[in-house]
Amino acid sequence: MRALLSIIQRLKGSPEKELCIVLLGLDNAGKTTLLKRLASEEVSTITPTQGFNIKSIHSHGFKLNVWDIGGQRSIRPYWRKYLGSTDLLIYVIDSADQKRFEETGQELAELTEEESLMGVPLLVFANKQDLLTAAPAAEIAEGLSLHTYRDREWQIQACSALSGEGVQDGMNWISSQIMNRKK
Amino acid sequence: MFSLMANCCSWLKRWQEPVRKVTLIMVGLDNAGKTATVRGIQGESPEDVAPTVGFSKIDLKQGRFEVTIFDLGGGKRIRNIWRNYYAESYGVIFVVDSSDIARMEETKQAMIEVLNSPKISGKPVLVLANKQDREGALSEADVIESLSLEKLVNEHKCLCQIEPCSAIMGCGKKIDKSIKKGLYWLLHIIAKDFDALNERIQRDTTEQKAYEEQKKLERAERVRRIREERGSRTSD
Ligand SMILES: Nc1nc2c(ncn2[C@@H]2O[C@H](COP(=O)(O)OP(=O)(O)OP(=O)(O)O)[C@@H](O)[C@H]2O)c(=O)[nH]1
Ligand SMILES: Nc1nc2c(ncn2[C@@H]2O[C@H](COP(=O)(O)OP(=O)(O)OP(=O)(O)O)[C@@H](O)[C@H]2O)c(=O)[nH]1
Ligand SMILES: [Mg+2]
Ligand SMILES: [Mg+2]
Repeated sequence: MRALLSIIQRLKGSPEKELCIVLLGLDNAGKTTLLKRLASEEVSTITPTQGFNIKSIHSHGFKLNVWDIGGQRSIRPYWRKYLGSTDLLIYVIDSADQKRFEETGQELAELTEEESLMGVPLLVFANKQDLLTAAPAAEIAEGLSLHTYRDREWQIQACSALSGEGVQDGMNWISSQIMNRKK
Repeated sequence: MFSLMANCCSWLKRWQEPVRKVTLIMVGLDNAGKTATVRGIQGESPEDVAPTVGFSKIDLKQGRFEVTIFDLGGGKRIRNIWRNYYAESYGVIFVVDSSDIARMEETKQAMIEVLNSPKISGKPVLVLANKQDREGALSEADVIESLSLEKLVNEHKCLCQIEPCSAIMGCGKKIDKSIKKGLYWLLHIIAKDFDALNERIQRDTTEQKAYEEQKKLERAERVRRIREERGSRTSD
């Protein structure tokens, strides 16, 4: 929260405040689809991300710069390069890919140990809820041991980047975080 | 002069008391007003809250107390995370939407579940009978009855106080006095028996941390092996 607060204070007075949000998660989790959904773009043709995509989204008088970084194993070591001034971390999970819950939990645990992410609020999107085999959000929270993350606020949001369901609720959480630290 | 000395002495005595770190959990059904309450306590606007499906916390100083309040999501699907925080809590703040009569039974069941936990029994409980500003809100007495509160807290040897309040009345200094009063009461009870309570909490949390650490190591090892296997098959 502190990072968010300080950036907001720093930008006080400027007409539009800017925040840096990073989207991470394993390959195939649905990050790029989600980013396109957030930017109200077509979501039908999406290929695995080799590097990164960046989009600016305007919401509630804020400019959110959202970085979507590829999740393939070979790219993951580069995640850390993008974390410098992160105000909020969005972590995306394929809720139907139960085989990889442990791996994604481990990646998240290693990430959050990074100094630059200390105390940074975490929004977990439990994506692909439209699939019948999707695990419910509570189960994922349990599987990722989210309760052991006591040094930051976290929220888990069930969603489908494909249909758009739940995506807005996640954004509402983000803006309620931002709005309340404005003063 | 004499009273000045006395004042000085009591001030000095207070000053010498150690700073006590206290963690409280705030629970209750979704929509009860937990987040609105903590926002108000923190001096932020209690409006514009989104449902919590997770965890947030606030820190505040209250006299010689450094208080941390965990604000936990109350929705049915996330409620089962509450138990992970019982060990470290010195007391419980249970928020009730007094105007939602249809959900009193569900509220009661949720409270039974909390108090039934051996990690909670015997700890003090503050019940905030919230949303008193709404028409048709149950009074303090009616909330006590709907929840069979007396029987419940006696059964589990939990000291209990109930405060009718309205979380959206204001924030910071303008916060509903009942909320403040309730919080004072809770801290006062915790202070009274601090050493015993503290010892219990240290013991329980050490145990839980060790267990969590063990789990973490085991997972790291399993994932390491999976990565290794995959690495030797392909060069992804
Ligand atoms: N059923 C379903 N499929 C989805 C959903 N979101 C994404 N997908 C599909 O999952 C696949 C991967 O989506 P991407 O958005 O490319 O995933 P990514 O996280 O960006 O993957 P990398 O770029 O490789 O890290 C695509 O075929 C998407 O159509 C969803 O909510 N439901
Ligand atoms: N009228 C009235 N509304 C209130 C009061 N307290 C909270 N609310 C409203 O009730 C709704 C839910 O409040 P929250 O604070 O989000 O409830 P919560 O207990 O945190 O809910 P979860 O996060 O889902 O567990 C919001 O729309 C608040 O504005 C109150 O005292 N009076
Ligand atoms: Mg991608
Ligand atoms: Mg809440």
